[in-house]
Amino acid sequence: MSENNKKVGVYICYCGGNISDHVDVEEVRNRVEKMPGVTVARTNMFMCSDPGQEMIIEDLKSDKIDRVVVASCAPSLHEATFRGAIERAGSNPFIYDHANIREQVSWVHHGETATDKATLLIAAASAKSKLLKPLEPIRVEAKKHTTVIGGGIAGIKTALDIAQKGIEVALIEKLPILGGRLNSLDRLAPFGEKASDILKELLDPVLNHNAITIHTDSKIETIKGYVGNFSLIVTKKENNKDIKLNIETGAIVMATGSVSYTPLNGEFGFGQHEQVITLQDLITLLKENKSSGSSLEVNGKRIKNMVMIHCVGSRQIPGIHQPKENGQLNEYCSRTCCAALLNAANQIREKFPETGIYEMYRDIRTYGRGQEELYEQASKNKVVFMRYEADAPPVVSESNHSEYPLKVKITDSLTFNEVMDVPADLVVLATGIEPDNVSDIASMMKLPIGTDQFLLEVHPKLRPVEFSITGIFLGGTCQAPMDTGETCNAAGAAAVKASALLSKGYIELDPFVAEVNTDKCQGHGACIEACLKEGALTLTEVKIDGKIVKKAQVTAAMCLGCGACAAVCPKKAIDINGWALKQYEDMVDAIVSDGFAV
Amino acid sequence: MSLVNLDFAEELKEYSEDTALECFNCGTCAAICPLVHDNFPRRMIRYVQIGARQKILENSDELWRCLHCGLCTHTCPREADPGEIILGLKRFVVANFRRS
Repeated sequence: MSENNKKVGVYICYCGGNISDHVDVEEVRNRVEKMPGVTVARTNMFMCSDPGQEMIIEDLKSDKIDRVVVASCAPSLHEATFRGAIERAGSNPFIYDHANIREQVSWVHHGETATDKATLLIAAASAKSKLLKPLEPIRVEAKKHTTVIGGGIAGIKTALDIAQKGIEVALIEKLPILGGRLNSLDRLAPFGEKASDILKELLDPVLNHNAITIHTDSKIETIKGYVGNFSLIVTKKENNKDIKLNIETGAIVMATGSVSYTPLNGEFGFGQHEQVITLQDLITLLKENKSSGSSLEVNGKRIKNMVMIHCVGSRQIPGIHQPKENGQLNEYCSRTCCAALLNAANQIREKFPETGIYEMYRDIRTYGRGQEELYEQASKNKVVFMRYEADAPPVVSESNHSEYPLKVKITDSLTFNEVMDVPADLVVLATGIEPDNVSDIASMMKLPIGTDQFLLEVHPKLRPVEFSITGIFLGGTCQAPMDTGETCNAAGAAAVKASALLSKGYIELDPFVAEVNTDKCQGHGACIEACLKEGALTLTEVKIDGKIVKKAQVTAAMCLGCGACAAVCPKKAIDINGWALKQYEDMVDAIVSDGFAV
Repeated sequence: MSLVNLDFAEELKEYSEDTALECFNCGTCAAICPLVHDNFPRRMIRYVQIGARQKILENSDELWRCLHCGLCTHTCPREADPGEIILGLKRFVVANFRRS
């Protein structure tokens, strides 16, 4: 394959003025036309429009060109568009290269310098394009099977949605029962559905679905493999015996959930006064409470005054809040506690009108649909709101008063920072959400964890349920604080992503991966040491002329295409398809010779 | 330091409308009040909300500055009716008058 007989077509876009206001597009075209190997150079107001794409297709069909360079916006916008056009012309879509003359030129440079830089970027791209090989996407056989880790609401919703798409699911839960934290909740904010009803609605079909295999009391031991072909070893407790299971699976969904923050000893009197409990404790009390009087009774004692404190273990500030033993501070807002606390307050005020409630908050964040109404309702229910600053939190202490056991001292900014004592028979702490510790599983798969200790998606908006490792997804409160509705949203999204990935039985991956020139490879193994992805490169023994020699071998599905191997090979025997060393050299040559390298 | 008391709302019902807890402390009433005096009437409404009975009696002079122009009630976004509450507080204070 010679790079000198390639016919490069260059297509330069005006972008409706976005580019042409600063780059003299016609002048660029005149210069590009004279570059070596360029047989066609054209311009268009919008190259991504149908007429623009049609020009490329025509030139390919009439054999005027066999390499395509489009100079326009960033490739993230329209690379797929132009590859598609090339495919429609009947050519291989990988004979395409891109020069970004909008974000990298017209949006940051002006006048002559803009025109000159655009010329250089196109020269480099067309030099590179001559060495592009027609490639085929890497096709990986994929097992039509997904493993969902975590059997809370996120996990069971994900499992059910995937199974309903005809894909088998293994649902793995470390505890003996499914349902997770919903098992201990009662009426859910903001609309008041019973948690047990919601669980039942999902669990019945999950338990009866042929495509779902449930493994409770199970622990993940190892995870290996790559998209379409992961293998897990799971230890399952059955009849007091540990049995080892091998699970071969095509995709993995992390639905490992969260735990409730445990207050430090003495934090708002927790652990020191039995009347100080968490919101979770209160919900359990309400769930089991049978008292029918006009006051809530706890342990046989009438609750006349109840103080609820927001933001316990959330929105912590360095220097103000005491970190946990591991140094961790929860600086994020747990989002769900405001609505949950208001929900509980409303239930109590409506059922037990003689139990008065004070809510002490830093900020009320009723952000979602139906949540502000909870605040409205709490006002109607005559809940008294008091506000404290982070650096002057309420202080819970014994009251020395016979009528109520505790008093809560607050500097109330709603009463112009006057200091007040609030009588309390019960103090409820709205403890935040913390991710369950899954560092062992995360490190097995090299999953990223954020500074807040939650699992980290690729992009919070554009790819919210995917990890950067293809074939692994996440959903629910392992990712961020979410309420039940948001968790089901995320779980549904993860299920759709996993189902779509596995639906064809095979997966096509971009072919920009390492390729070994077996003639040159001497089996040094330097590439294997440099490789970032365990298993992507191996040394294998092959017989050549009766002698056994070692050669590097690429597992294309696992290769990240990073090029670390190409950088260290003493024989230059390994290279990255689409981004070969020689292509870089030619690009540099084109740039230093002002676009006229031969 | 004052002790707050939710029972105060019950005591006040005899003298005033029971709308104080509608208030969400925005301060519009204090901003519109022509007296422009030390967070009047917002502070009084707040004392009613939390049941700071003693604070109301201690600061009862303020109540008689009110002209009952009705601007606070007119502009209140929550229909907490601050004008009526001030009027009710006057009745409460008179009824609880003690020669000291």
